[in-house]
Amino acid sequence: MVETEIKLTGRETPKIGVYVCWCGINIGGVVDVPKLCEYSMTLPNVVLASEYKFMCSDIGQNMIMEDIREGKINRVVVASCSPRMHEQTFRRACSDAGLNQFLFEQANIREHCTWVSMNDVPGATKIAQDHIRMAVAKVSVLQPLEVTTVDVEPSCLVVGAGIAGINAALDLGNSGYKVYLVEKNPTVGGHMAQLDKTFPTMDCSSCITTPKMSEVSRNQNIELMTYSEVVSLDGYVGNFQAKIKKKPHYIDQDLCTGCGQCAEVCPVECANEFDLGMKPRKAAYISFPQAVPGQYTIDMDHCIKCGICEEECPTKAIKYNDKPEYVDVKVGTIILATGWDPYDATRMEQYGFGRYPNVIMALQMERLLSSFGPTGGKVKRPSDLKEPESIVFIQCVGSREFTGKGRKYCSRVCCMYATKQARSYKEKHPHARIYIFYIDIRAFGKGYEEFYHDAGMNYGINFIRGRVSELYENENHDLIVRAEDTLLQRQIELKVDMVILSIGLEPQSDIDDIARIFNVTATKTEDGFLMEAHPKLRPVDTLTDGIFVAGTVQGPKDIPDTVAQAKAAASSAATLMAKGQVEIEPYFAKVLDFKCAGCKSCISLCAYKAITFNEYERVAEISEILCKGCGTCVAACPSKAIVQNHFGDAQILPMIKSAIPKELKARGSEN
Amino acid sequence: MSSQELFDPYILGIFCNWCSYAGADGAGTSRMQRPANFRIIRVMCGGRMDPQFVVNALLNGADGVIISHCHPGDCHYVEGNLKTIRKMPILQLYLKQFGINPKRAKYIFISASEGVQLTEIAKQYVEELRELGPNPIRGGN
Amino acid sequence: MPKDKLKFALFLGCVIPNRYPMIERATRSVFEKFNIELIDMEGASCCPAPGVFRGFDIDTWLVVGARNITIAEELGVDIALMCNGCYGSLLEVNHTLKNDKKKLKMVNEHLAKIGREFKGTSEIRHVVDILYHDVGVQTIQNRTKYGRKPPLHLKLALHYGCHLLKPSETRPWDQKVEKPTFFDELVEVSGCKSIDYKDKFLCCGAGGGVRGAFKELSLDYTREKLENISDSGAEVIITACPFCHLQLDLGQLEVNNLFKDKISKQFKIPVLYFTQLLGLALGMSKEELGLVRSPDLKGVPPFTPLRPVLKKIGEAT
Repeated sequence: MVETEIKLTGRETPKIGVYVCWCGINIGGVVDVPKLCEYSMTLPNVVLASEYKFMCSDIGQNMIMEDIREGKINRVVVASCSPRMHEQTFRRACSDAGLNQFLFEQANIREHCTWVSMNDVPGATKIAQDHIRMAVAKVSVLQPLEVTTVDVEPSCLVVGAGIAGINAALDLGNSGYKVYLVEKNPTVGGHMAQLDKTFPTMDCSSCITTPKMSEVSRNQNIELMTYSEVVSLDGYVGNFQAKIKKKPHYIDQDLCTGCGQCAEVCPVECANEFDLGMKPRKAAYISFPQAVPGQYTIDMDHCIKCGICEEECPTKAIKYNDKPEYVDVKVGTIILATGWDPYDATRMEQYGFGRYPNVIMALQMERLLSSFGPTGGKVKRPSDLKEPESIVFIQCVGSREFTGKGRKYCSRVCCMYATKQARSYKEKHPHARIYIFYIDIRAFGKGYEEFYHDAGMNYGINFIRGRVSELYENENHDLIVRAEDTLLQRQIELKVDMVILSIGLEPQSDIDDIARIFNVTATKTEDGFLMEAHPKLRPVDTLTDGIFVAGTVQGPKDIPDTVAQAKAAASSAATLMAKGQVEIEPYFAKVLDFKCAGCKSCISLCAYKAITFNEYERVAEISEILCKGCGTCVAACPSKAIVQNHFGDAQILPMIKSAIPKELKARGSEN
Repeated sequence: MSSQELFDPYILGIFCNWCSYAGADGAGTSRMQRPANFRIIRVMCGGRMDPQFVVNALLNGADGVIISHCHPGDCHYVEGNLKTIRKMPILQLYLKQFGINPKRAKYIFISASEGVQLTEIAKQYVEELRELGPNPIRGGN
Repeated sequence: MPKDKLKFALFLGCVIPNRYPMIERATRSVFEKFNIELIDMEGASCCPAPGVFRGFDIDTWLVVGARNITIAEELGVDIALMCNGCYGSLLEVNHTLKNDKKKLKMVNEHLAKIGREFKGTSEIRHVVDILYHDVGVQTIQNRTKYGRKPPLHLKLALHYGCHLLKPSETRPWDQKVEKPTFFDELVEVSGCKSIDYKDKFLCCGAGGGVRGAFKELSLDYTREKLENISDSGAEVIITACPFCHLQLDLGQLEVNNLFKDKISKQFKIPVLYFTQLLGLALGMSKEELGLVRSPDLKGVPPFTPLRPVLKKIGEAT
């Protein structure tokens, strides 16, 4: 609640209040907080120094607010956690008390001090003192600033039309916002459309997905762009400009009725990606019968341009000379829901995937189980199309792998999907022998443990705790599996008809490109997925304002969690768009025209083209709206004519000068 | 030799907000221990790194300056880190002419999830500076 | 365009000079054919044996190994060796000392007492690695065309051994060590076929000090391996390590004796080191490759008679 706004011109003598936080024992357990307060009082311009167990709490914030209201201080330093944690909290406290929120600085004495030097008390104390001294020096020269507000365009770009993208788009479309739903495949549905049944309810996946798929194509507010990709992005939160490339279908999508004549007469056969290479499709194709949109596409990589389809098409829809179309859209928010790729099991050489025909991976098993799959729902093993009487599932293929051949994380869904596939098969073949070799069974969700228990007790599926060391095949292409039963402490050698590898979920191969286009940091560790802003409190935000993530692009997860995240992302985007405006931190740069020499060095440096040259005045000018505050031009200007709010030389140089304690300075040096 | 054992290098860090500062926060959250020699200043972008920051720090007595930004291609502001890559070799040449060992200005790339790497580099850098000795301004090398 | 001549210091180890000198002879002949120079290492000692020495005291193992490597460093060349055990030992000594500053300091303190210093300038290469990566399967294939006509048609059971492949991080095989094929590719240039047999990558049983301390256990491994090879129908066993060679050659006689009640028939599968086979494919004589044994000498290799294989090749020519 802003009472009377304290008018500061920035030229009054700074009266700094330093507040040192104990943060429970996180800071207080390592350094002597009261001593730090005493130290703070010795610093120039500091008029009071207090401490409290949790400065970010109501009581802590009230301490600051009261001191401001009583006029004791006009600058605030809080020595506590990282500014990336609570800068907003304390800034709001300052502005609620009537002090300009930019006259606040936070000294990081937790993440950068007590947490990394837990056992070195004198060392941590020195660093805490240095950080406080630096913050005091900076806050002494900070200027009061006003935030800029920009309008938020009430439209959202949803990238990826799997179950996450579809749900997010529907929620937003139904709330009245315009949604551009972009999908790189010719059909929506993602991986969920490939699944047969979903655990633990054994719902038919198509039955729950297809209604949503058709809803998304009919919703008035959703503009569906399939077979399209986002190629570039400009702008900032509330005002993004995206360029979308609509790939050429080579079939006019308005004229195509989906009759399928072209596919019937097409002479070229190639592997169907939807069925993971187990069923052929023609060069003119539709991914699967229930695809949405229902129009056909020609795969030019395989098309031989024989012209037969062109003759046969009843609506004359074939266009061989189709070209990509580029569309520019303006949106306020973006949701990334681009999904996952399966782990490439050929990397696990000992399991023979790619060498032995009867070793398949889980997604292929889903297609075999699926009623519109390559074998019409009857699971048949590839070598001789016999229905297997014995199957081994190998868990954790490519996950929980610390040797470098896979990923370290657990993919979360494999224990459940293997149990589900085993159960599906057992329902049709009650006498089949099924073995699932696992390290642990992770059945964490609602109904999952009961499902797993049921599978073992009532369906007779054998769960054996132990890793499969290797497998090899005999002349009949049966597989001999060697493993250890760790609970019974004995070795096992089994001959089975088919082996299914429970592969893990990996980030998509082009995730680095996505991260670059959308300017969201892809985690560079083994994880490889897009990073959320905070793992606990901001699971669908990214560090780029206005861009949200939903679903497996952020990490492996099952369908309930994916849908929950999609709805969360839609809700976050809607909040932004409903407010209609967003505040932007005013860190932009300014040219001091009396210092500018007109050398134009800065103009080419700006990545946002925010600097233009005023030919009349012969000086550079910076647009406040376009400037993002990176400071590159500030550093580069040879005349030091460009200054920056809050992070200018005037603020940073005092920090550096004060950083070095006096006893370390050169003998005889004054500055 | 024994005075070198006791010598604790004073290292200043200039970290960009989006990647490296977040990475350092991550290292803190995971309690990755490192020697207590680093003070970190936050800038919004690597491009903000002005060579005069480094020179100022060293002339004021810091033993080493470590500048850390996003990996090339990942800069939150598109290219700021690339601009700094261009400045570093010239800065190091310049330092040599001042008689300051160019190793005292170190440039690394740390992304928001690379707390481990940061801690490793930090430990190695402290050892390196221990061997180099204190800043020549204070009578070192 | 003629490349710079490849030059290596040949590390002999123990088993070859003491038991199987023909392996050195065959390797030298094959390398000469490809214009690779092999220099002697004066003063080289036991590598030291990776199982026994490293098992007792790692620091001793490092110092003795480093000393051997310094001989090559002084000659200014990399080391070529023919034994998996020496390979495992020297390669890992080299890797450890290049990455662990404390161990390097310790080793150099000891080496200083004999006027030596480990600098880390030499690489350690197995002859399989040199022939596969530096010479190349294609080049060898081209040469064998002019060596022996018509090519050999033997069925081979290849034994890679253990240290050639693992630990995979320091080996030059791109981490593909679960089902590798490079040795098969190398040996098949001779025109022979490498047969897949059960548990192809099972250890021969010799290494790790097992042959020395638990001979019967080591022979049990050998027996299992010989049974699998025999079941596969292979005619010759090909090795890349003299210790494996010893275990499968002399060991074969020992197995026949020790397990005579357990095995269905006595084993009589000839064992060749791979450069002996390559030498034959390149047209060299069996005398040159040490494949003929003087009837007067007793207790010297080859122990398992090579006559069946020689007859087959004799028939081919």
